[in-house]
Formats: sequence, structure tokens, C-alpha cells
Amino acid sequence: MKVKAKLKKGVVGVKVLAKSPMVGKEEAEKKKVAVEFITHITARVNGAVVWEASTGPFLSKNPYFQFAFAGANKGDKIDVDWVDSNGKTAKKTAKIK
Amino acid sequence: MERRKFLSLGAVAAAATVLPSSVSATDFRATAPATWDAAGSAEAVKALFGDIKPIEGKIKMKAPKLAENGGAVPIGMKSKVEVTTVALFQDANPRSAVAVFELGKGGVFDIKTKIKMRKTANVTIIAKGTDGKFYSQVQKVEVSIGGCGG
Repeated sequence: MKVKAKLKKGVVGVKVLAKSPMVGKEEAEKKKVAVEFITHITARVNGAVVWEASTGPFLSKNPYFQFAFAGANKGDKIDVDWVDSNGKTAKKTAKIK
Repeated sequence: MERRKFLSLGAVAAAATVLPSSVSATDFRATAPATWDAAGSAEAVKALFGDIKPIEGKIKMKAPKLAENGGAVPIGMKSKVEVTTVALFQDANPRSAVAVFELGKGGVFDIKTKIKMRKTANVTIIAKGTDGKFYSQVQKVEVSIGGCGG
């Protein structure tokens, strides 16, 4: 997972590139692979949730997200974590630049 | 007696540490499971938000008119309206719901993501404002090469 966060005019713009094949039920049957997609992704700053998404398998493979929020400072840390359909989790921390 | 006291204290502590994350983070896959099974956008919207009459024209959707690669169609959505929840739907795949975004404190409605579309169809955005009103935007996206199995 890649996370980039940049403060500009009081608003932090965040770019997240997650890593998952995002294979849903139908695609798994067709391609004979296992179902695997991210179901929930959360971004926290200083422990408070600033953005989150409940997701399904129709996001692109290795899904990309861009979002924004206000109220954080340069140097604050943003934690992004996700859980997938198999219960697998991943976490990444980035510094707001 | 001592042991019982200790155990109950432990249970309280565990509940206290688990609670904040479950309160602030809503898993719409768990709270609105019917949304994710709905085939069409209309049913999915109804399953998630109920019978709503959204206001049109307040959300700016940025989507290509013609997407060459249906495997990753960039969809951007933004608005000056303050919102708490933004849901993204399409009618190109076996099921409609793609993602439900939630903005926390200080959240700015400016989201971009990439979705799969196996054919030409409408993309629908429904947002719930902090004022309790619903906002919607629909745009047709033409897909030349489909990108979703099934």
C-alpha cells in the first residue's frame, strides 16, 4: 500500500494506492481464482477517523482513492488500514507533508 | 471473589478499548447487507438510504464520457455541500454498489477512485448532507473494452 498526504491551504489531500486483486464472486468463478477484495478501508489522524469506505469488488484492481480533510497539521501522522473479504488486514502510516 | 472482580474489570476494559473504533467506523457491508446484493442502482440506493428524493445538480462528477479501459474508470466527485456519507453505484456489473465513503470530522467532499465497468452504463452518486438532505448525480459512461468478469 502507498499513502501520500499533503497539506495545502489548510486541507490535507490524501492519495492511497491499495493492493488487492478485487476479485468478486462472478469474476472468481469465471477465472477460477479465489474471491478476494477489500471490504473496508479506514484513515485515521491522531486516532480520529477522517475518512473511511465500505467497498465492494467493483473497484478497480489495486484500488486507488483520493480524499481530503481539514484540521490536521504538517508532521501529523495518518494511519490507513484495510480489511479484505478473507479477514486479512494491512496498515500503513504516513507523515503529512 | 477476587478473581471474579478481576475478570469483570478486564471485560470492562476490553469493551472500553473496542468501543471507540466501532462507534466512529461504520461498516456498511455489515449494517446494510442488502445494498451489496442489489443488481440495480435504484434498489441499492433504496436498501442503503431508504425511500429518498435526492436533490440534483449540487455534486460535480468527473467521469470520462468514453472510457477506453473498463478495468479502471476514474470517477471523481466533489461538492461544496457538507456531507457525511457518499455512496457510489453503477449499472454495468452484476451488482450495483461499488463503495460507500464516510467523511469524518473536517472531511472535505472531494473524492476520487477507480471502478470496474464491463459495459456502458450510468454511474450514480448519492450523498447525504450534514443537513440531512440527500444529493444525487448521474452520468452515463461509455465503455469500449469491458473490465469486469462475470
